[in-house]
Amino acid sequence: MKTQNFTLKPANKTFTFIAIFMVALFAVNASYSQTNERTITGVVSNEDGPLPGANITLEGTNVGAVTDGNGEFKFPKKLKSGDVLIFSYLGYETQKIIIDDKTNYITLELTPDMVEMIGDLDTNTPYKTKRRKS
Amino acid sequence: MFFLVGFLNAQVSNFSDIDFKKADSVALSNHGEDLTSLPELSFKLTASLTTDVERFRAIYRWVCTNIANDYGLYLKNNRKRQRFKDDSLKLEEWNTKFRRKLFKKLQKKKRTICTGYAYLVKSLANFANIECEIVQGYGRVSTTNIKTLDLPNHSWNAVKLNGKWYLCDPTWASGIPKPKTGKFHFKYNDGFFLANPKLFAVNHFPIESRWWLLEDNIPSFEQFLNAPVIYGKAYKNLELHNEPQQMHHNIKKHGKVTFAYVLKNSINTEDVKLLLDDGFDNSKTSPTSISINNTCLKLEHQFNKTGFYDVHLYLGEDLISTYTVEVTNN
Repeated sequence: MKTQNFTLKPANKTFTFIAIFMVALFAVNASYSQTNERTITGVVSNEDGPLPGANITLEGTNVGAVTDGNGEFKFPKKLKSGDVLIFSYLGYETQKIIIDDKTNYITLELTPDMVEMIGDLDTNTPYKTKRRKS
Repeated sequence: MFFLVGFLNAQVSNFSDIDFKKADSVALSNHGEDLTSLPELSFKLTASLTTDVERFRAIYRWVCTNIANDYGLYLKNNRKRQRFKDDSLKLEEWNTKFRRKLFKKLQKKKRTICTGYAYLVKSLANFANIECEIVQGYGRVSTTNIKTLDLPNHSWNAVKLNGKWYLCDPTWASGIPKPKTGKFHFKYNDGFFLANPKLFAVNHFPIESRWWLLEDNIPSFEQFLNAPVIYGKAYKNLELHNEPQQMHHNIKKHGKVTFAYVLKNSINTEDVKLLLDDGFDNSKTSPTSISINNTCLKLEHQFNKTGFYDVHLYLGEDLISTYTVEVTNN
């Protein structure tokens, strides 16, 4: 019966070391990107193009950003995967974006809230029956 | 059954153990804030309050006391909606154009019409994680021409607090514009906050029937149009408007009309007056009989002269409701 030789040759040793190093590096990199806090930037638009003045808020906090004249923003707090950004603008549907491993730049178009605008007024004027003039 | 009880109790008295002073003072301390960031405004109005009803109260109170009703916008919208009412494409086109204009005006000038109030209350509540909806429908006031009331004309809110839906009307609670000058006067009326759905049903007809929040006796549109006119002060003084359920009454000379209400607070008999207007004269008079049993108010009035009367109920100085009575010879 042939015995296996587990002693590595010098070339193999180098290869194994590199392999372990790379696996370790990959593992560290994967966990790094999951907990990595990043600066998120992006652009918000509406049906007319870039939308200045749109609000971006981190869910559950009062931390937020406002889009500039080009509809662009840079979120002031570094964010991690799982954080939720709320995009809003008066008259438009609020949208939520969940930050994942790959989120760095967000491009978002807000859609108008299709609510029908109506309005009647209250009044204190006493009711008056219209009467025929006699 | 639990569901029905839920509806029956959907009113502000459910929160009688809560003092809204703190929520109101938060609204006051944020008076004049602008609408550039609704999430931030919502945060400012709610962060220091501990219950959802107080958080909602601060939002509602802020909207009612900071947003003005725009009479010009109202008139313009009414004109266009009437003009395009039989042309759905043009009506939709107008709605889109008007919606943009309205939101811009709301944001920059803090002026709007009903849907703007309801929209803002809903948005701010939603940012505070409170479920709130806009209710679209028909609202009726003393000057509403019921013959031309063929398009929805009013918006209000339903809000879910502690698992139950409640109604409120931020537009009518905010104040009254003077039609002659168009100038809006802020005058907060607390009666529209989480009002009794049965009282609400007298002059609010929702398009979606789930927003009646009534378990039975849901009015038809015709019944709604034929209901008595009630005023803002009715919400301040009344818990319920029980009788009569129609605006108009035909009776014979010496006949009687019966009125029945549940009051929010008991009153003295001398505070109850009817103002009778026959087109020539009007005079305040005491009803023929008044009975007050705790908060139940029952009146009868006998009409001894023929004629056509507008009958206005006053409690103290407050105009509550109007009925019409035609009295003919036997």
